Order: sequence, then C-alpha cells, then structure tokens
Amino acid sequence: MATLADDTVVEMRRSGDSRFVAFALLAPALLVVGLFFVVPLVLSAVGAFRSTEGAFTLAHFAKALDLYTRDLLFTIEIVVLSTLLIAAVAIAIAGYLTLGEHPRAVAILRWLYRWPLFIPFVVAGQIMRTFLAKNGMLNHVLIGSGLIAPISAQSMLDWRGIVVAFVWKQAPFVTLLLAGAMAALERQHIEAARNLGAPRWRVLVDIVLPQVRGTLLVGLVLSFVAMLSVLSVPLMINPNSPTMITVDVAYRINTFADYAVANALCLLSLLLAAFGAAFYLRHAVRKVEDA
Amino acid sequence: MTLAPRILPHLGRALVLALLAFAIFGPLLNLVLWAFAEKWYFPSKLPLEYGLTFWQRVFAPRGNALASLGTSIWIAVLTVIVSLVVAIPAGYALGRLKLPWRGLILLAFLLPQAVPNLPVYVNIAQVFYRIGLAGTITGVVLVHASHGLVLAVWIASAAFASVDASLEEAARNMGASVWTCFRTVTLPLAAPGLMASAIFVFLESVDEFTGTYFVGVPDVTTLPLLMFNASMGGNYQIASITALLLLVPSIAFMLVVERFLKADVLAMVGR
Amino acid sequence: MKVRILLLSIAALGLASIGPAAAETTLNVVSAGDQNMVDYVNNYLGPKFEQMNPGVKVRAVGTGPGDSGSQKIYEKLEAQEKAGAPKWDVDVAVVHQRGAATMVENKLLMKYRDQVKAGKLVSRDTAKNALGADVDGYVLPMFHSQIAFAYNPDLVKTPPKSFKELEEWVKKNPKQFGYNGVKGGMSGVGFVMGWVEASDPGMRNMFEKGPYDPKMKATIDKSLESLKAFNQYVVMTPGNAGTLDMLNRGEIAMGPVWVDMFYTWMSDGKMNPKVKLELPAPGLPGQPMYYVIPAKAEHADLAKKFIDFAESPEVQADGIVKQFNWYPGIDPQYVQSKMPPKEWNKLFTDITPADLASKGRPFPLSNYFTDIVEGYERVVLK
Repeated sequence: MATLADDTVVEMRRSGDSRFVAFALLAPALLVVGLFFVVPLVLSAVGAFRSTEGAFTLAHFAKALDLYTRDLLFTIEIVVLSTLLIAAVAIAIAGYLTLGEHPRAVAILRWLYRWPLFIPFVVAGQIMRTFLAKNGMLNHVLIGSGLIAPISAQSMLDWRGIVVAFVWKQAPFVTLLLAGAMAALERQHIEAARNLGAPRWRVLVDIVLPQVRGTLLVGLVLSFVAMLSVLSVPLMINPNSPTMITVDVAYRINTFADYAVANALCLLSLLLAAFGAAFYLRHAVRKVEDA
Repeated sequence: MTLAPRILPHLGRALVLALLAFAIFGPLLNLVLWAFAEKWYFPSKLPLEYGLTFWQRVFAPRGNALASLGTSIWIAVLTVIVSLVVAIPAGYALGRLKLPWRGLILLAFLLPQAVPNLPVYVNIAQVFYRIGLAGTITGVVLVHASHGLVLAVWIASAAFASVDASLEEAARNMGASVWTCFRTVTLPLAAPGLMASAIFVFLESVDEFTGTYFVGVPDVTTLPLLMFNASMGGNYQIASITALLLLVPSIAFMLVVERFLKADVLAMVGR
Repeated sequence: MKVRILLLSIAALGLASIGPAAAETTLNVVSAGDQNMVDYVNNYLGPKFEQMNPGVKVRAVGTGPGDSGSQKIYEKLEAQEKAGAPKWDVDVAVVHQRGAATMVENKLLMKYRDQVKAGKLVSRDTAKNALGADVDGYVLPMFHSQIAFAYNPDLVKTPPKSFKELEEWVKKNPKQFGYNGVKGGMSGVGFVMGWVEASDPGMRNMFEKGPYDPKMKATIDKSLESLKAFNQYVVMTPGNAGTLDMLNRGEIAMGPVWVDMFYTWMSDGKMNPKVKLELPAPGLPGQPMYYVIPAKAEHADLAKKFIDFAESPEVQADGIVKQFNWYPGIDPQYVQSKMPPKEWNKLFTDITPADLASKGRPFPLSNYFTDIVEGYERVVLK
C-alpha cells in the first residue's frame, strides 16, 4: 500500500514537473502572440461593448446585426463553399500525385499546381477581377474557341468571383500539405489494395484519406479562417451588397470612423472562425486522447 | 477502333492537365501582360502597346523599390527565424508533452489569423509606439511573427507528434542526454515539417502590408505596401510588376528549402 | 555550415539594402490617394525641395487610395497621441476631407495656414470647411477633384445631361451605366449624394449650409426608394477604380468617376483617349486633397516650408495642372497667369469653368452625409 502511495506522489510530482517544462517551452511563443496580438485585440474588442459615455452596451451588436445579418450569412456561404471546393481540389490533386501511374503527368502536375501559392491575396483579387470580368480574358478565350456565344458571356464578379479567387489561391496551400502527408504513408497497404484490383478512387477514399484526415483538417481550418479575414479579395471583386464582413468592417471605419460597430462585426466574425476551428479542436483533442 | 481505348486515357489526361494549366496560368498570364502593357483598353482584347515604362517607374532611383524588396526579404528571413525559434519548443510541448487546455492553446495561436485585423492594428500600433518598437525592423518582424506563428506552431506540433517515441527511448537508453537526444534524433525527424512551415511563414511575411504600415512606416517600408496601394488604386501595371518581383524571393526560398530536404516535404504534418 | 553562410549572406544583403543611417534630416510625407501622388512627391517635389534645402531628404510613403488611406494616417497619428509619443513620425500628410475633419476634431493637427505665404492664395470654401467641420487654418488644398460621369462616345452618342435624363436613359440602355454603391469608395457615395440632392432642389442648400434636421431622413429615404428602382437598370462596380476598370474593358459605357483618377488612368494607357467627361445637372460633389501637419510633427518648420513650396503658383501650374491635368488647390487666377493659355485650357476640355462653378458641389454636412449613406444601406441594400 505504502509503495503505491509513494508511486502516486512521484507520479504526481513528475507530471507537475512536466507541466512546468511544457509551459516553459510554450512561454516564448505564447508571449509573442499574447503581447503583440491578444492584448491589442482585447483593447479593441472592449470598444464593441462600450457606449460613447463609456457604459456597457450591446447596441453596437444590435446595429451590426440589423445592418449586416445578410452579409454575415453571405460570408458563411462563401467561406463554407470555398472550403468544400478547396478540399475537393486538394484531394483530387494530392490523390493523383500519390496514386497516379503516369510519371510524366505526375511530374507536370507537381510543378503546375503550386504557382498560386506565391501570389498574395490582393494580387489574386486584382487578376481575378480582370480575368473573370464580362470582357475579361476567360470570356475572350471561351468565345474565341467557340465554346460560348458572345451574347451569353457574363461577368463572374459576384459571389462566384470571390469563390474562384479563394479556391485558386488556397487550394495549392492545402494540396501541398496533403500531398506531403500522403507521400509519407506506407505504400504496402496501397500496393496491396491495388493488387487486389481496387480502383484508384477507392484506394484514395478508403485507405489514403482516412490516414491523412488530420492534415487535411489543419489545412482547411487555416484556409477557412484566412478567407474569413481577408479584405482585399471581396473589396476588389464584389464590395457591393451582399458582401463579406471584412468589407463592412472597413466601410464602418473608413466612412464613419465607427470603430464600435466595426469591432462588433470583428467579434461576430471571430465567432464564425471559432466554429470552424472547433472542428480542428475536436480532432486535436481526440488525437491526444488516442496517444 | 482498336487504338481508341489505348489513346483515350492519354487524351483525357492531357485534356485535364491542359485545363488545369489554363486555370492556373490564365489568371497569371493576365498579371504578366499587365506588367508590360503600356496601352490596353476596350475594345482591344490584348494590350495595344507593350513596353518597359512602368518598370522604369518602379525602378526609378527615388522609388526605392529595390531597397524595399531587400527590406521585405530581410524581414521575412528574420520572421522565419523568430517563428521557428519560438515554435520549435512550443511545438514540442504541444506535440509530445501532456498539457491541460491543449486545444485552447492551439486556438490562441490561430487568433491573429482569425480576426479581420483592421481595427486591431490601431491598438497594435499604439502598443508599439509605447514600447519603442514602432518604426523598427524588430517591430515589424514581431508583428509578422505573431501573425504567421500559427502555421509554425501547428505544423511543428504535428511534426513532433509524429516522431516515433521508441526511437527517442532507444537513444536515451544508450545514454544520450535529453538535449542530445532531441538534437540528434527528434529534431532531424521533425525537420521536414518544420521546413515546410518555414515556407509558409516566409510567404505570409512577404505578403503582409497592414501590420508593416502601422508598425513600420515611414521608417520601414516594404514592397508589398507599394503593391497593395497600386493594386487597390487600379494601378495594374505597378501592382503586377511588384507582384512579379515578390515572386522571385518566394520561389527562391522554396527551392532552397526543398533542396535541403531532398524529399517531398510536409511528410508528417497533422498526423 | 553552408546554411550558416547562406543565412549570413542573406543578412548582409538585408543590411546593405537598408543603406547607411541617414545623417541628414528626413522629411516624412505620408500620402493617402493614388500611387501617382506618392510618385509626385518622390520624383517631382522631393528633388526640387532637396535642392533648395541642402541636407534635407524628402521621403514619401503612400497609404492607399480613397478614404481608407486617410483613415490609416489618422489611425497612425492617433496611436502616437495615445502612446504619448513626444515627436510624431509624420511631418506632412496628404488627406481627404473626412480624414482632415476627424483629425481636427481629435486635435491631431497643427494650425499652420497663417504661417505660410501660400496661405493667402487659397479661396475655395473647402479650405475652411470639410463636410461641415471647421478646418480653418489646419489645411491647404493640394488639388481639387471633382466627380463627373465618364462616358465612351462610341457607345453613348448623346449623354444624359441631368439625373432626370439619366433615369430615362438607363431604362433604354439597361446595364450600360455603372457605379460603385456606397461601400466601394467616394465616387459611388458622391453619386448617391448627387441623386438625393437632385430629387429636391430645396434640400441641396440645407445639405450644404445646414442646419441639420433629423426629420429630413424621411425625404432622403423617399429619394433613395427611387434610387433602388434605378439600380435595377445599372451595374454595380467594385470600387472607385472598379468603375474605371469596367469602362476600360467596355463593360459599362458610362459611370461616375473622380476626375483626377480618370486622367491618371488615361495617362497610364488604361483609358481610351476618346472617353469624355460630363458633369450632370444639378451637380455632383467634389473635394480637395489637403496638405496637413500633425500637431507634434518632428520637423514642423520644414513641413511648413515644404507646403509653402508645393502651394506656390509655379509648382501648382507646372506640377498639378500641367503634369496631371488636375484642378489647382490654390485660387486659379494665380495659377493661370503662370502658364500658357493652351495648357491651362486643357483642364476644361470636357467640363467648362462655368459648369464647374455651378455644378461642382461640396459634399453634404457630415450628419446629412451619414443619414444618406446609412439610409442607402437600410433602403437600397436591404
């Protein structure tokens, strides 16, 4: 009995130690984010709850919801749709890179897909605006190749343009993460399944994807929150109603110097991001329990 | 007839690749065309005149484009170093050690990416002016690092989590100290993931302008600031030229990192 | 080892690019607005001023087009004020009206007009008043800009001369007129202002001179209802530059633009030289860009000298009018005498001085301004 109790004490002390070590290791990183982002964030967030007299109020949230509920919904739709499309594109490309049997096609694809990674959001917005417009390059090519009649050319500078710009810019990011994870998988299972005659898409869905779900999730969550907080793409492509929340934030500030409602909108947007991040959280916590 | 089944898959593959190439390079071609367009307006479908006038404007001696590019690269490299230095221990703690509130800590790093940051930067500037970091490279690097840290920490934590613990134990059993074991076993195994995160942090820093403005301007100016202003003002030629210039360090950094690894990076991320 | 050498060489490159620490005095000019305004300071004003003042270096940085650019300057000054910085790092700022009003209101600017010679050369009402805010003494206009309709004469043979005609015109030519709503910049906002003012002649005087009457909201909303109907026939463009962008590709045939931006697009080869301007009755708003000096500017005296130079009739003639085809910031009579009539008249190719005088309006007072823009959100966008 006594030894057991001693063991428990030692165990407890050790876990206390390891906790201390863990937090000591975390401290510098937490300090950077805490000092240089979380503190300023809190400073600005309190503004969302403060009336001009300094009293607590929810009026700014009421106004934000009154004027911008439609934009909040629009933002959710855009970001969710973009995330799903990014997932589809990334899985398809990374899957082919892993399972493709035509070496030259794999090589070309590997070289090809990364380029948008190096293009900043604001430039992605700019080039999509000139590419997807009614008289933009896409329609010129479609008309020139006889695929559509000139009369049916239409502008995609609305929600579609934003989604295209997001997918174009973010899919390579997720693909890069995913392809890396897939490349590191043990090939035996894949080979075995292929030898048994399973088609490649089944191998991808049944064997490969379950093993890289974590990576996919990380990439998608990072893309999800990035798209939520990007201003330049919706501003360049479709700043009119309905538009994304970031445009409204900029508009409240630039037109009315209204930081209160802008901050309220930011917090609402943060709430959306939290929903997205909850997916990751569940995965991350489960993983530790597995370990 | 007999050939068709053998040719069709090739044709299909070529077609899909061509479409993908168009989807990726079509918009990029626009960028390149604008970089050299001197005159381009309706109803012309392609530039009416090409030239280098705008390149001269960007590279005008007083425009400081090259100096700004140098500053951008320098800041990005420093940001990568700072991020990795703090993210490696943090990632190790998050990936290998038992921690309470692990999920919440991971989310804390996500915050800088998750908030539309326009209103926040006013307060960041205020904090930085107060502590004397405004107008310094250090200040800009810290803002970039706090913004890009989530990539470094999340990826590092995943990379460390995926390192096989039995290898470490073996090293420890052979008498290696904790530090030696980390340096010779754990770190090299996690390196691909760490290097990958370096690429993303680098790109993040090279693209950043809001924080640079509030913390750096007027003493520290980077090329993305010019690119942002030009792009938002519809100054397509200057925006395109600066974007092309920024491609150079980004791609170079990626190539350097990839060479280093000699394998597809990111092997272990998120597992 | 190799890594270390690589890193060191990158570091050296970085350090080298930052250049030697400036032993000379640096005058920091921070400018909202388009990149060409920054280039103007860097490439035109800067070298001349440096020549006149040895040991001084002029450094210009842009903060982006539109009111967001001015807002960013305000935010930077505000941050320094709140942080208690003794000297601020901006010596001269170039801002829009709304930005200037906010800065004066928050006591972030220095009253300097009476201390510079050029202070006596300004005559416009906007040198004293910015959207109803009293900015007298704190600002000097760098140039004046005006919102006007740009149209492609190949596509529009007889442009509508008034808002009334425009309303009919868009029905016959659907999706040929485009503007950028209220969230994408001031050319769209100005169009909405012009629309509301056009609906009731009595309103206009009140908007510009006051007093503020919250009951006017009902009248405003009624006018915005008709704008909502009008919007069915028009294209919404992505921002000030977005309107020009769609004109550039011929996707719209007409739209409201800032005259200064319009000429910039033309000189950058992005606008068909045939495209013309038109100022519809009863009018559209315009506004100047202001030179201001922050309250605690480090080199305030040098800043005054710089602005005095930039506002001199010679520079206004050669820099603002001749180079950019922009309306001068100081009284035109001083500028006109400094240049050949041919050059001067180019300013009025499409819009005559008489048109400009009668149809170029200031923006409404800020309370009305807010009522109109928020009314737009409630009535038109919902």
